[in-house]
Amino acid sequence: MSADLTRDRVAIVGVGSTGYSRGDTGRSAPSYAYEAAVAAIRDADLTQIDIDGVVSSTGSGYPNLVPPASIEVVAALGLPTVTYYSEGNPVIGGAMIDAINALLTGRCRNVLVYHYNYRGPYMSRRAASDPFRRWIRGYADDPPESAKNAAAYSFWASNYFARYDARREHLGYLAINSRTNAASNPLAAIREPLTMEEYLEARMIRDPLCMFDMDLPVDGADAFVLTLTERAADRPHTPVLVHTANQGAVGPNDEDQLPSLERHGHDVVVEQLWRDSERTLADVDVAFIYDGFTFIAMSWLEKLGWCGPGEAGSFIEQHWVDDQQRLMIDGRIPVNPSGGMLSEGGTQGAGSVREAVHQLRGDAGSRQVEQAETALLAIGGFFYNAQSIMLTRGPA
Amino acid sequence: MTQETTASNSSSEPAIWELYPDATIDQDNRAQYEGMLRRELCLNRCSSCTAWHQPPRSICPRCWSVDVRPTAVSGKGVVMMAAVLRQGKAALGVEYPYHLVTVELDEQPALRYTSAIAEDCIDQVQIGTRVTLDWVERGGAPHPVFRPDADKAPGSASDVG
Repeated sequence: MSADLTRDRVAIVGVGSTGYSRGDTGRSAPSYAYEAAVAAIRDADLTQIDIDGVVSSTGSGYPNLVPPASIEVVAALGLPTVTYYSEGNPVIGGAMIDAINALLTGRCRNVLVYHYNYRGPYMSRRAASDPFRRWIRGYADDPPESAKNAAAYSFWASNYFARYDARREHLGYLAINSRTNAASNPLAAIREPLTMEEYLEARMIRDPLCMFDMDLPVDGADAFVLTLTERAADRPHTPVLVHTANQGAVGPNDEDQLPSLERHGHDVVVEQLWRDSERTLADVDVAFIYDGFTFIAMSWLEKLGWCGPGEAGSFIEQHWVDDQQRLMIDGRIPVNPSGGMLSEGGTQGAGSVREAVHQLRGDAGSRQVEQAETALLAIGGFFYNAQSIMLTRGPA
Repeated sequence: MTQETTASNSSSEPAIWELYPDATIDQDNRAQYEGMLRRELCLNRCSSCTAWHQPPRSICPRCWSVDVRPTAVSGKGVVMMAAVLRQGKAALGVEYPYHLVTVELDEQPALRYTSAIAEDCIDQVQIGTRVTLDWVERGGAPHPVFRPDADKAPGSASDVG
């Protein structure tokens, strides 16, 4: 493997979010993307003529992601001249990497990256009752005899539970942590607390995982403006540097053919992360551990090196702060302070990037981690979309 | 490479597309569905290096030979993962809860196939159980299911993985 030549060279200078909702929103998918995009561009104190690159996170033909593609956003926002546009690999990190590459190869000066979620009719009863969502394709009609897509984490969790001393309660702590944190995030779709009793009694969806182990189907969008670090000082906010960013996969990666839990996309990502940065877990001030499924977060905790294989359950117990009902690694590092995929909403990591930017700028309000300088984002699952991003506070 | 599988697809029988309406069938996996009509589980095997792979692809992931042939497997192996589907739009002939397993097949380490447990032996199959293939009708078409294997396990049986 080679080294990350993009280190610290690109900064996030604008963020915008619509917040997330499970309600009857009456809005189109594009309307969310446009709202978040305009907010991010304004946050960077830029305007139409300044944005000459656009990257969506709709790549790889994901069935749960719907238009607008980048070229539609160029039209909708009236960007007069765009010299780079593409659809990055979901989850959010793939799009960020695409934007970083475009900036550093000189293809454009300011890139808009956006991500949106929009519930398909197969994702919730409420979405199914909305006739304006009928056209959205999904994987609801696949043959059921399959470990594909979302079912994969139930399968691999069963393998993990059979091998290691892990219990459903360990997953439950992660679900509760996200709910506790979401309570102070006005953008989150669910802000009510969750108890262990509620978790353990919840409806099973695909054993061994229950409804609280799976991210929330939501409508909403986040957007970001990225520019070269050397130009970031011209923007109004403290720049947040992309210290390093990567993605990784192994072959075979078909869900039920993945060789084992010993080596998958998370491993490839973590190998790059610790090769490319001299920072360590001891430097991390705030952690974003992807909880699209609780079981994915268990894996990240082990792969990042906070604990060994099979030890995530006991690690979570050791670092659980009972009177706060949340996880605080070493008593100081909050995990998913904005509520994660489980409670803010299934943002595929976009919400984590936005919250990390606010934390590092120092404008995260009641959720602010004092003097936060380093945010570690471990995003995505085992098969197609493992990614990590380390963000750091740039010079004010 | 598909000539041996086309005999069952004569014009008087329903096409695989009608019998397996929820499957995404293309030129590379059609033989797997045609094999199911004969109650044979056919996985692709490379004629050059003899490696198996699943799902069916037009190239051997190990040696890049394109001479890959749908070949019947024994259907015997060990359960390495299990899940129970309880929610979502049910496919034709499926009732929830629906018990699924991923089986590591005897033919090759880490060669796996995922399907349902036979309804009458759901309580007898768990991770680590040696299983064998059987066939049931679902939506008017044969589908592979797994049930406990009464035969003695071979020495090469793998564990949970």
